[in-house]
Amino acid sequence: MDSLADATGQAISLLVTGDRELWIIIATSFSVSLRAILFATPVALLISFALAYGRFPGRQFCISMFNTLLALPAVVVGLLLFVFLSRAGPLGDWKLLFTQTAMVIGQMVLCFPILVAMGHAAIQAGDRRAWETALTLGASRWTAMLTLFREVRFGLVAAIVAGFGRVIAEVGCSMMVGGNILHYTRNIPTAIALETSKGAFAQGIALGMVLMLLALLLNFFVAMCRGEGKIAA
Amino acid sequence: MSRSSSGLERESLVMAEAQPLLTITGLSKSLQGRSILNVDRLEIGKGQCVLLRGANGAGKTTLLKIIAGLLKPDAGQLCLDGVTGTWRVVAPLLRKHIVYLHQRPYLFDCSVAANVGYGLRRRGVPGHQITARVTQSLDRAGLSHLAERNANQLSGGETQRVALARARVLSPRVLLLDEPMAGMDRDARRRTDELLRSLRSEDTGLIVTSHELDSNAHWWDAEFELENGQLHALAQDD
Repeated sequence: MDSLADATGQAISLLVTGDRELWIIIATSFSVSLRAILFATPVALLISFALAYGRFPGRQFCISMFNTLLALPAVVVGLLLFVFLSRAGPLGDWKLLFTQTAMVIGQMVLCFPILVAMGHAAIQAGDRRAWETALTLGASRWTAMLTLFREVRFGLVAAIVAGFGRVIAEVGCSMMVGGNILHYTRNIPTAIALETSKGAFAQGIALGMVLMLLALLLNFFVAMCRGEGKIAA
Repeated sequence: MSRSSSGLERESLVMAEAQPLLTITGLSKSLQGRSILNVDRLEIGKGQCVLLRGANGAGKTTLLKIIAGLLKPDAGQLCLDGVTGTWRVVAPLLRKHIVYLHQRPYLFDCSVAANVGYGLRRRGVPGHQITARVTQSLDRAGLSHLAERNANQLSGGETQRVALARARVLSPRVLLLDEPMAGMDRDARRRTDELLRSLRSEDTGLIVTSHELDSNAHWWDAEFELENGQLHALAQDD
């Protein structure tokens, strides 16, 4: 019990004193996960919209597929990506294995089904009159879609937050395609796994605190958006 | 009010002036194999008002959405302002010049003024003109005091009036109103009735579906009944 208290004390000390190594790991984590969300979100939302408002063959199959992929294990994505990106793999010439780009790609694959499934649910639950009203008032289909996104923004923000939560905390994929290289591809989850295996709990706890704090802040943000219910027109 | 004979019916459906604003011919729509709309011909001229009656599920809303360019029919020709073609060809023009108001109008989650200015912004009207036209439109509708209020905080009657103001500010060629009096109290209905009359004087063509308009008022130019997707002209008795 004492050792846990000691480790927690050391963890807080590491955070407060601005331990360079710790903050590089945190920065790497945020940089990779934010890029993954940033690149995946626009495409995912377009697909969500097409699934909600489009009528095409295979639409129901696509919805079921994305819902199924919500449970996609990170290690499976990591494994497949590793096979593709390894020197002997079909994309080996790109030399992306053990780079941040590979981690971003892996995290994009992981968050994509969440963004699509939750985005689709939010748009589907929105009021179809918003889309029709925008069109009849002269909006182009593109602008009408953006208007609809604005009307269902809380659901979409929740989808983005859930997607970010999924990728910032995943270990399997980042470990396999990133390689856990210090100051380059070591992120919060892989660092926690490594430090724990070495018995160095302080840094692991400090990084865990950052993840918990992040989860708390994201939830506050979503709640604040809902509570306010107003974003500038 | 009585149903005209079938021979005269086709004639009476053509009720517009020499140069009709909107003409619809051979329009049909089916859903899951069931025919829900089959309109031979319907015309409307500048400043004319057509009243559409019909039971729930008769196809009134479907017809309005097709005319508004929001719903694709299976077949049919439309002609707006001399531009003739299939729905796919004419749809962009329909969406540009025709405004459709839902039975329960939808207001965007922003201020009343932003709602009224939405269509103007989409049409590329300069910002300073938008402000002036929105202000003028809200004044005319007696809604100035609500300009900065969030549209989601309005009552049903206020929502209807804001939606009408939002449509009116665009000066549409044709305005499609789906049950505009539904759920309104007597006072609100009177005000809406006055507003519809004033729209006619602005050369806006009106197609109104309603159970609740006073059948004796006779301020519309033609009255039709949709029954099983078929459009029948109703002759006015007096």
